[in-house]
Amino acid sequence: MKIQSARDLESARREGLIKIQPGRPRIGVGTSSCGIAVGGMALYERMKKIIQDEYPDISLVKTGCIGFCKEEPIVSVSIPGKSLVLLHKVQPDDAERIISLAMEGRVPQELALCKIQDWDHITGSLVHGGGFDGIKDYDEIPFFANQKKIILRNCGLINPEDIMEYIGTGGYFPAFKAITSMEPEAVIEEVKRSGLRGRGGAGFPAGIKWEITKKASGEEKYIVCNADEGDPGAYMNRNEMESDPHMLLEGMLIGAYAMGVHEGLIYIRAEYPLAIERLMVALDQARSLGLLGKNILNSGFDFDIQIATGAGAFVCGESTALAASIEGKTGRPRIRPPRLTEKGVFGRPTDLNNVETWCNVPVIIAKGASWFSSVGAKGNTGTKVFSLVGKVDNVGMVEVPLGTSLNTIIFDIGNGGAQGRRVKAVQTGGPSGGCIPVRLFDTPVDYESLNKVGTMMGSGGLVVMDEDTNMADIARYFISFASGESCGKCVPCREGLKHMLLILNRLIAGKGTVKDLNLLKELSETVQKTSLCGLGQTAPNPVLTTMQYFKEEYDELLEA
Amino acid sequence: MPVNGRKRMVTITINKNQYLAEEGEIFLLTAMRLKIDIPHLCYEKALDPYGSCRLCMVEVVTCGKTEMTPACTIKVHNGLEILTDTPEVIKHRNILFELYLAEAPKSEVIKEMAAKYGVTKTRFLKKIVHDDPLLGKCILCGLCVRVCSEIMGTCAINFINRGPFTVVNTPFYEHNPDCAGCAACARVCPTNAIVFEDTEKDRVMRSWSGTTVPMMTCSSCNKPFAPEKLMHEIQSRLDPQINEDIRNMCPECRRRYISRREMKIPIT
Ligand SMILES: Cc1cc2nc3c(=O)[nH]c(=O)nc-3n(C[C@H](O)[C@H](O)[C@H](O)COP(=O)(O)O)c2cc1C
Ligand code: SF4
Ligand code: FES
Repeated sequence: MKIQSARDLESARREGLIKIQPGRPRIGVGTSSCGIAVGGMALYERMKKIIQDEYPDISLVKTGCIGFCKEEPIVSVSIPGKSLVLLHKVQPDDAERIISLAMEGRVPQELALCKIQDWDHITGSLVHGGGFDGIKDYDEIPFFANQKKIILRNCGLINPEDIMEYIGTGGYFPAFKAITSMEPEAVIEEVKRSGLRGRGGAGFPAGIKWEITKKASGEEKYIVCNADEGDPGAYMNRNEMESDPHMLLEGMLIGAYAMGVHEGLIYIRAEYPLAIERLMVALDQARSLGLLGKNILNSGFDFDIQIATGAGAFVCGESTALAASIEGKTGRPRIRPPRLTEKGVFGRPTDLNNVETWCNVPVIIAKGASWFSSVGAKGNTGTKVFSLVGKVDNVGMVEVPLGTSLNTIIFDIGNGGAQGRRVKAVQTGGPSGGCIPVRLFDTPVDYESLNKVGTMMGSGGLVVMDEDTNMADIARYFISFASGESCGKCVPCREGLKHMLLILNRLIAGKGTVKDLNLLKELSETVQKTSLCGLGQTAPNPVLTTMQYFKEEYDELLEA
Repeated sequence: MPVNGRKRMVTITINKNQYLAEEGEIFLLTAMRLKIDIPHLCYEKALDPYGSCRLCMVEVVTCGKTEMTPACTIKVHNGLEILTDTPEVIKHRNILFELYLAEAPKSEVIKEMAAKYGVTKTRFLKKIVHDDPLLGKCILCGLCVRVCSEIMGTCAINFINRGPFTVVNTPFYEHNPDCAGCAACARVCPTNAIVFEDTEKDRVMRSWSGTTVPMMTCSSCNKPFAPEKLMHEIQSRLDPQINEDIRNMCPECRRRYISRREMKIPIT
């Protein structure tokens, strides 16, 4: 069946809703990489067997990740007319009991994390129902209560391998609206007015980049999704693609229509096999419904997306290296200008946006620019997903409005240090970012404020450090990473980072002198100022910020 | 933009002095023409700017703010304002020289260049590679690789590894039959790191894993005069072809042959 009209789309929505709320018990097992890592797939297989053999009345689906990775495997149980219940840390041996209780309209109380009575999918909403009085409400769990889910609106709740469920929550309605009732210029205008900024790190306004690409001369152009995600500790994009691949495809479809582009590419690292698999499934399903391919939605507009896999080099996330890699060349950055919007993949004008940037687009079209810009802070609109990792109690994926303070994220949502240890600092922006000490945790998380304290947003990794972490060692870890990932084209990054690492090794071995410390600082500044691409330009940040905020830890390392 | 086929002249400011310059010209070339000194290692007029050596970094002033940019990547436009010798530029350049002195400790060219700017010592650990085919002189500017691929269209050599382990050589460090032996790489290398040698019969690219290219012997004097593959390559591009009787002669014999023929001296 191809969707060609509003009626077709509406009947697909109804079909999808029936899958999500089938009028009989439905069990969803969290099978993103985080869930699988702690046995989610084994659990799913176990349940599948039991259900096939004994309880054919139960619907069982794979879901993505609801974000609370620490509590995985998470299982959702939905009983008709009752609240959706999330069970946590579920073991394969619990399978039998969960299923038989579900048949009776019950859930195992001691495994329950919380219940959800209704849910705002942004593009639509669902009422599940009441009941389960003894189980805490979703909003009573601090990890969830302080978040605002816009991008993660469907994650962990729908089956990522079934396009109908995405449509069931109102998905592809924004694309339908854009393609059938809006001029391309109006779509760009809406994205511009929303204030959406690139989520890949630099925060360039997405609408403006789209406009530049649209105006660039040349008939054949590309839009590209940057799913390279190479920062250690960051896995938001992976989770977004594994949990809700269609929001990415829909975002790209709307963007393609706005820019008048017919070819899309998703550049994704080969280390994300599950995300690639789910994207492939999603692409096939979208094509079979006529949401990709020729004459989309019977509008005469053609657009399709291909997947390009990268071999997992951090530098290939940089725009020009990414373009070279897609072309089959070595992933080495080149000087800019020309920017990709002028001369991108195979020399054609190319719009490159991060996974999450694309994922915001459907909701902007659905709810409007004003709605979107009412979330977040001035100049920093919308939400941002962070992967909260390291020595923090609640490890997981966290979505908050931009401008939320680090305190809220790390203490209210993250519940402070793991095992009751004291939190000392947080690294934002991965190897490009810096370490912020706990005394500056009232810093709002927005592009400018983070820059002001010497770090950057990056793509959204937050690595928490506690009192046991040695800051020079952290700096050494990141420099060692950056040096290993340097492409070797320009001397400050190729040779400079190597010597920074040698000096740090000397210091940490207790053989360093004040001269070494000074040289480290001098060299850091040169690498920052003279490197060719963002990798080298930002790589010294972990050293410079730890030297600024934790000078005493470096002094303690000096030779007596 | 060319006006009436001629380049438009615009006014630019360098170190607070005003100059007339050709619009669109690479600023590094403008500065060289104006005898304003900017060190550089990776720029070559015949190739696209590459911006890898970072020695030509200058400060571009826009709206009162300055930004460090390589001079070889700046195009001249009206009102361009550049500072080439600020303490900031000098400070970073000196560190870059120290990095080069450590990376290519055997290079006299680097030593002289650094010394010219007052840098005679490096505080960084010197790189020592035993049996380095590039004699401890390579600074990875990429000129050889670019000339080989972009000008010659050969791609006989390329970068191997990445980061601090990057080197230039033939694939798998093996003799590369694609090499035409033109030695353009050696000619363009700013630090004279590339070694080759002509023997009785062959040109041996010592730096490139001993890649050996047979020499063509002159059909008249029987002396080797140019790599065979290179000659065939060139001949295949010529239209019309060189006359059969002089096609495989060395330039000297060819000259003698032609002048004798013109002067109607019998050819022996
Ligand atoms: C070394 C390096 C690595 C990068 N890695 C990524 C990445 O993994 N994902 C990403 O979206 N952007 C990455 N970027 C930023 C991209 O170059 C680019 O700015 C971004 O994809 C643009 O999309 P946006 O405007 O939607 O943020 C990286 C930049 C550098 C310098
Ligand atoms: S800064 Fe590093 S990664 Fe970027 S071009 Fe230079 S050597 Fe390559
Ligand atoms: S000459 Fe400009 S960077 Fe090398």
